[in-house]
Amino acid sequence: MKIRKLPKDKLDFFASVVQQFGEVHAPVEQDGKYVFKRLSRWSEARLDYPRTILPPKKYFFPPRETLFQFREGEGYLPCTEGLDKRAILFGVHACDIYALNILDQVFSGKYDDPYYQARRKNVAIIGIDCWPDEHCFCRSMRADFVDHGFDLFLGELGDHYLTFVGTALGDDMVLATGPLFQDVSPEDIDEYKRRSSSKRQGFKLDIEIRDLPEIFEMEYRSEIWDELGDKCLSCGSCSMVCPTCYCYDVVDDTQLGSREGRRNRSWDSCLFATHALVAGGENFRKSRASRIKYRFYHKQRGFVAEYGRPSCVGCGRCISVCPVKIDITEVINKLRGVQNAPCR
Amino acid sequence: MTSEAEKILIVDDDRDFVEALSAFLEAHNYVVLKAHDGREGLKVAKMQRPDLIIMDIIMNERTEGFFTVQEIRRTVELKTVPIFILSSLYSKVTDFGIPPNSSWLAHDEFLPKPVNMPDLLEKVQRRMEEHHRNPETPVGRKAET
Repeated sequence: MKIRKLPKDKLDFFASVVQQFGEVHAPVEQDGKYVFKRLSRWSEARLDYPRTILPPKKYFFPPRETLFQFREGEGYLPCTEGLDKRAILFGVHACDIYALNILDQVFSGKYDDPYYQARRKNVAIIGIDCWPDEHCFCRSMRADFVDHGFDLFLGELGDHYLTFVGTALGDDMVLATGPLFQDVSPEDIDEYKRRSSSKRQGFKLDIEIRDLPEIFEMEYRSEIWDELGDKCLSCGSCSMVCPTCYCYDVVDDTQLGSREGRRNRSWDSCLFATHALVAGGENFRKSRASRIKYRFYHKQRGFVAEYGRPSCVGCGRCISVCPVKIDITEVINKLRGVQNAPCR
Repeated sequence: MTSEAEKILIVDDDRDFVEALSAFLEAHNYVVLKAHDGREGLKVAKMQRPDLIIMDIIMNERTEGFFTVQEIRRTVELKTVPIFILSSLYSKVTDFGIPPNSSWLAHDEFLPKPVNMPDLLEKVQRRMEEHHRNPETPVGRKAET
């Protein structure tokens, strides 16, 4: 991997030049929170953000979209508008890039999702280093570092960014900015390693995930699930902000007497009472306890069986939005029979 | 001045410069629209549809003009409007020059400050003629990505 360094005081010039590769979107402050949004000037970008409300997933798998229209006599008409729009997501954290790599596995391979894949192809990712806050546990989930899934990654190096070039497009971006990028010295590498080590010490939350599937197998009938069911409101906030939740609902939108319509999909949540409701009125997960238990089992147990790792990346969004303060790290540690402890 | 007079939008935070350039262009029968930052410039451009835009780069912030140019190019109704960049950036930041033929900036002309007024006028007149001969001619080297 090619590694260069970029002076921080030239980042605005770099962002200006990379606009030729697509619209620049970055985290922007909004009512005290952060959202990924298109920039109209560089000063709007807040690269030292803790986390955005919605993850970058929204660019590839939007909360609502029309898949196709259907019209009598014309058949199915795919809605491809905007799929080829080029954009750059500037300032994506490692855990969110890791989450996109997980979604890539879901939306390609066994079942290809052309909508997701087209957007993934046309949106470039520029990652950036971050510092953990009280809700981050990406280190525990092994998602505090990524080695692919980005075009460029800006690592923290004091006055500079140590820039990892991940793709040919990333290399084009570096080349387009001419003399802005500089060669890396052995001292820079040492400094980067020192800072990485210091970041590892900054995590306040820690969970052990190596034997989680076994723990989940053993605790299937634990009373913890009923306690959680009593507490959980089934609001679905945790699913809505999760960077790897991918459940969606598909609904045909037609009107009485009409000879045309649209097939729309929108995000769904396994916590919603209707998620497991099927024809005939049968609901496989009627109780809140069964639904929250399902969510934990799918992310931490089922996904491991299917893809070899949990789908949780430890971004901390679910902890920060839950209205009744359900904390995934507390639940896992409780299942293990240990208390939340400071990171080692 | 007739209603057909061509409109030029000047976007520059240096108000004295805007006034001086306005007087010069008005003396040559152009209608001048003025804005003093990128956002105001974009707003005026959308409302007034100028025939040409003269854009500064360093305004409220160092790269404001770059972002405004891209915003203009991504606005459907302004996609083909000629944009002239007038900036001292080339001489100020030694490791980030903008050569006049920069392939990454969707501009039509780059003119360094301080500006040579007769040279600017000649380029404006030539560009207006070209644009009127064929208004759909794509402008800017990277008008759409």
